[in-house]
Amino acid sequence: MPISGTMDVAAFAAGAHLAEIHGFKTEDWTLKGAQILNVYYEVDIDLAQRLMPVTVHPVIPAYAMFNVTHYPESPVGPFTIADVRLGCRAGVRPRGLTLASYVDSEAAARELAQRWGFPTRVGKVALRAFHDRVVGRVVTAEGRLALEVEMLDRDFISGGDVQYVSSMHLCRNREDGKLTIVQCDPEWTFSKAERGRPNLVSFDSALWNGGDKVRPNWPISASYAIADVTLSKIRYVSDPNQDAFRGTTQVAA
Amino acid sequence: MKFGIFYEISVPRPWDPGVEKRVFDNCLEQVALADELGFDSVWAVEHHFLEEYSHCSAPELFLTACAMRTKKMRVGHGIVVCVPEFNHPIKIAERTATLDILSGGRLEVGTGRSATWNELGGFRANPDETKRTWDEFVRCLPKMWTQERFGYQGRSWSMPVRTILPKPIQKPHPPMWVAVTSPGTEIDAAERGLGSLGLTFGSVKEQETKVENYRRIIANCEPVGEIVNNQVSTVNFLFCHEDTEKGNKLGRRMLGTFNFLAAQLLAAREAYPTKSYPSLGLLPSLRKEASGPADPAGVPEGIAIGDPERVLRACKRWESVGVDRINFLLNAMETIPQEEVLNSLRTFAKHVMPHFQDSSSHAAAAGGGR
Repeated sequence: MPISGTMDVAAFAAGAHLAEIHGFKTEDWTLKGAQILNVYYEVDIDLAQRLMPVTVHPVIPAYAMFNVTHYPESPVGPFTIADVRLGCRAGVRPRGLTLASYVDSEAAARELAQRWGFPTRVGKVALRAFHDRVVGRVVTAEGRLALEVEMLDRDFISGGDVQYVSSMHLCRNREDGKLTIVQCDPEWTFSKAERGRPNLVSFDSALWNGGDKVRPNWPISASYAIADVTLSKIRYVSDPNQDAFRGTTQVAA
Repeated sequence: MKFGIFYEISVPRPWDPGVEKRVFDNCLEQVALADELGFDSVWAVEHHFLEEYSHCSAPELFLTACAMRTKKMRVGHGIVVCVPEFNHPIKIAERTATLDILSGGRLEVGTGRSATWNELGGFRANPDETKRTWDEFVRCLPKMWTQERFGYQGRSWSMPVRTILPKPIQKPHPPMWVAVTSPGTEIDAAERGLGSLGLTFGSVKEQETKVENYRRIIANCEPVGEIVNNQVSTVNFLFCHEDTEKGNKLGRRMLGTFNFLAAQLLAAREAYPTKSYPSLGLLPSLRKEASGPADPAGVPEGIAIGDPERVLRACKRWESVGVDRINFLLNAMETIPQEEVLNSLRTFAKHVMPHFQDSSSHAAAAGGGR
């Protein structure tokens, strides 16, 4: 059967920066005009497997998603967020397991963590579009470069050609103190999309809850899109110590 | 209606030294029995790097072994990947002609272009280009088989004039097919006069629409070869057992295992945004199938799993929408013990095949009959 994640969840949680979610009831956020840079790289699958709870399976080949998104408006004002995710499957469904997020707004970092369990930290996060490239850059609050990623040779495609996946966030539920995996199912309405050549300039796995285990080894693709994004209410949560079929609970319709 | 068997050759972990040989041996034993029972054809995929899901990377060798063990069954590539990074077109022409000779003129040639990043990325093929290279390949292959000398200057490949040898023994050349996974590919098949080789497990209703489109368009096609192969084939699972409960239970286990396994692969479109792959292809179909509507026994509509009566109903349903052939996947990850797979083939041949005109004479050999 497909290989599953082998993470020691308790040990990982003890050493990682995870969010404390305030229950599973939240309302939608509609975020207009988001600028989204996504860069995909294949990664070492044996190591990636150790960063995944048994709930999910690594995709074959394993890959990481480097995402930097600028939201020009939100209920807490404009903000830019960067995530590193590992491509995975929950049962048969494609997902991105978020290892860590950096946000350039304290209010946004707090709200995203409390409402959807994003493992946020505050940092300097920038997304810049130039005529020949789009660049995402993350510097921690301590001044360390965590990520610099580019899409080169910009080329227009259709928004319909872009396929994003829902994300999953390992977090602690304030209501019962238990570790849980929250599934975040955004909806995207694209107004513009581009594809280009991926270039990972700098990446420090340890600054993304990855220890030394996220090792990008082959570029796949890069895309840049402008879209209206709806962060929807939470519908599914999973027990990180069980497979998705047995351990997933529906918490809203 | 004709019935064939179809191989992905899935090999479960742990991959101890003997496991691949055991799986290949089981497949060949099934093929030999299927030939005796009157199945019309055996098909093998070409997949690369698809862990557990498919270890069938050299189908021409597997199909040659099948041809050596059978007398009547046709042997089919389902499909050859028509992307230059995977297969040079000259080598495809040479290999297929050789297999046609060795099989005594029993070769069917399915063509396609791959749909996973596992494979396209592994061979460093550009997903934007695969539809174009496939189109060039299918237009060249019949000429390479039939013309004494062939030269070509094209977009994805070229060659000076040479004599490509050997030539197939079927005249004018072996029947050609196209793998139909993405919506609209049945139209590509029909426009070129190629058979529609369905490789997803879509619903009967979806297939009915595809068949109607295909028949309408192929009536006015411009064939790429010297013959028009106006046939629609679909793929299905088969587990037929006289004990209803056992048939459903083992069959469902095979179905679930296959879908679960396939879902772990990385579809080209999921990794690489491109208009060349307008849908996720095989993978979402499988996911839909896994969670789609099912009968009270939990078996989705149109799937040939259960007792002979239910399997017969499923096959008749496909026949009613104009499908000419059904190719059956017999196992997944060795979920079903080999003896049960062989018994399923015998049960199908005895109780189901005789109800179909083209298969009845063969089925008589299995002790079947109305």
